[in-house]
Amino acid sequence: MPDAGFTRRDFMSAVAGAAATTWASASWSDVHAAAAQAAAASAQDKWQVLTPVQVRELDAVTAQLVPTDDQPGAREAHVVRFMDHSLATFAKEEKPAFEAALKKLAELVAAHYPGQTSFAALGDEEQVTVLKDWEGTDRRTFGTIHGATITGMFSNPEYGGNFGKVGWKLMGFKDQFSWVPPFGYYDRG
Amino acid sequence: MADHPHHGVPQGAESQMKTYRPSDEVDFVIVGSGAAGGVMARELSQAGFSVVVLEQGPWLTENDFKHDEIWRDNKSGLTNDHELQPNTFREKEADTAKSSGWAQYGRVVGGGSVHFTANYWRFPEVEFAQATRFGVPEGSSVADWPITYADLEPYYTKVEWECGVSGLAGNPFEPPRSKPFPLPPLPIKSEGVLLERGARKLGYHPWPAPMAILSQPYRGRSGCLACGFCYGFGCEARAKSSTLVSMIPAAVASGRCEIRPLSYVRKIETAANGRVTGVTYFTRDKKEVVQRAKAVVLSANGMESAKLLLISATTAQPQGLANSSGQVGRNIMFNGAGIAAALFEHEINGWKGAVVSRVTWDQVEVPKDTGLYGGGGFDFRSMMTPLGAGFNTPPGAPRWGREWKKNLPRILSNSIMAFGHSTQLPVSANRVDLDPTTKDAWGLPVPRLTFKEHANDTKLQQWFAARGTELLQAAGAEQILFSFGGDSSGGPHLLGTCRMGKDPKTSVVNADHRAHDVPNLFIVDGSSFVTSGRGQPTMTIQALAFRAADRITKLAKSGGI
Repeated sequence: MPDAGFTRRDFMSAVAGAAATTWASASWSDVHAAAAQAAAASAQDKWQVLTPVQVRELDAVTAQLVPTDDQPGAREAHVVRFMDHSLATFAKEEKPAFEAALKKLAELVAAHYPGQTSFAALGDEEQVTVLKDWEGTDRRTFGTIHGATITGMFSNPEYGGNFGKVGWKLMGFKDQFSWVPPFGYYDRG
Repeated sequence: MADHPHHGVPQGAESQMKTYRPSDEVDFVIVGSGAAGGVMARELSQAGFSVVVLEQGPWLTENDFKHDEIWRDNKSGLTNDHELQPNTFREKEADTAKSSGWAQYGRVVGGGSVHFTANYWRFPEVEFAQATRFGVPEGSSVADWPITYADLEPYYTKVEWECGVSGLAGNPFEPPRSKPFPLPPLPIKSEGVLLERGARKLGYHPWPAPMAILSQPYRGRSGCLACGFCYGFGCEARAKSSTLVSMIPAAVASGRCEIRPLSYVRKIETAANGRVTGVTYFTRDKKEVVQRAKAVVLSANGMESAKLLLISATTAQPQGLANSSGQVGRNIMFNGAGIAAALFEHEINGWKGAVVSRVTWDQVEVPKDTGLYGGGGFDFRSMMTPLGAGFNTPPGAPRWGREWKKNLPRILSNSIMAFGHSTQLPVSANRVDLDPTTKDAWGLPVPRLTFKEHANDTKLQQWFAARGTELLQAAGAEQILFSFGGDSSGGPHLLGTCRMGKDPKTSVVNADHRAHDVPNLFIVDGSSFVTSGRGQPTMTIQALAFRAADRITKLAKSGGI
């Protein structure tokens, strides 16, 4: 049953894969440039947009959003690398929104745990507490980071995330140009 | 757009395509190359006329399409971009309209037929005569069409054979047909099996879905490879029967048709005698060019065609071109949707294959005891892609963390929507006009929507959502995720804004799609609809286009234009 505020339009935009309105401001050439850079990138590369502190904080946040357990998570998918590439290329215009989101996160950390300034320095349960509060109280800034995390986790690997297709493996998706029946359990006949 | 790799004509088409100078007075300028414009281009050029087609968007080919959601969502060039071309929306006249992305349309050679789902349902016979048969609901502007199903039947058949539609004749709720489908149905998917299971339990009659996707090779095009990247994407196998692959190549091969991509029309030109003389458009560099023509065909979609007529007002026609009736832009409809969603025990894998494989049309007329007007039909579909599954968590479930992560395979592969497609009533006050303040990136006034759904339609969609829930339960759903209907105030189905009719006082075009007020102006697209159908309008848009092309050819050849 629909929960409050969940409208048909929300749903339709979700199923249409509006991956994230936050990532919808790119231009064609930038998308290609991002893909080329991502292909050439390696773990030793310099960060293009994110500062070391931002990288540390985003690493901790994304590792809570998509934790590593018996299956790979955001770290293995190189989600923060994806964010950096995107912000340097096709999602340039999202940089202020990213900075605002990280500022909000720092405020929440300080509000919950006076004296603390770093999300990454918190313990596991403390981090979850902060994220739940963030999600519940500021959907917009939380959505910026959540949206970029999901996009980095499950988008085409050529943009630098979903490294080794770990996101797709996690959900059981296979990118293949052709399929033949049976497609699923119920059409096995 | 500025950096798009395809500024021009794809290799292959370039060498054989006839080109015209803007100063050449061609027989027809067609505005738009989509479901209707593509048909008009092929039919009129093959009939011997000189034709220039002006398309806002780029000319992409299968080589440009890919399995990539970031590409799809980030200016793939397939659809309109609200940053460059905003829309505004308000519920009633007294409100100030706010920026809104209410209209979606294909902005590419082939138009919306490039990225659509490809459901090709014929309208039922009763659609064309509802006012006579059932009366006019209070607050609506339901009217009979000036043509009947029998008038249109040969052209529905023509769509199936000329564009390529897969299906199976014999659906008990389908109106009479003169010919079988040219191609057998696409393979049944798990969604289809479950729809059959639920429908049979409830006494309905499930049937293979008619789809504009080739189930087998046909006329030099490949059959569907079931790659799954269908809705929202261009087909890399040329199996989806977009006009890009079904009509445009033949139009070009006629040697009489030029397709001019990245050409955004800003005005239809009118002479002192009231006849149109051509159109002015922006080139890719935003230079204004006038293409002269003996006649103009507007196939720009139900929003853009109305907008262009209103922008093209003259001193003699101050309300807008072809608008002495005041009906241009009015009666806009989008179709309704009543949707329920559920999780099933086993995997469905809706991300493989075409979106829809089975339908049930038992609801084509809703039962009288509901007191509701109209009807529709159902399909079961998943529509889940990797990013869609990442973002589209079931209501109330966590959206991140360990539990969400464990649930991902089920979200991607085990969920289904029962999608009820339904009537939306025409209402005169529901209209598109020109926003008085907001301009697009070319400086043109943007379309403003004033819209409030008729009370019947909200209830009808809720009725469909409830039937959808029953269907899912009867099919053995483990868990119903949600069910809702109503608020269809936008979307890709842009219908009714230049309605056809016999009376020039109450309609914009006649049964030949000729503007009552302007003898050499024709409007052929979803705007011609008098009523919305039961969802799935594209088949009817194309049948109307084939019929219009026949009528216009006869008129032109007898000196009647």
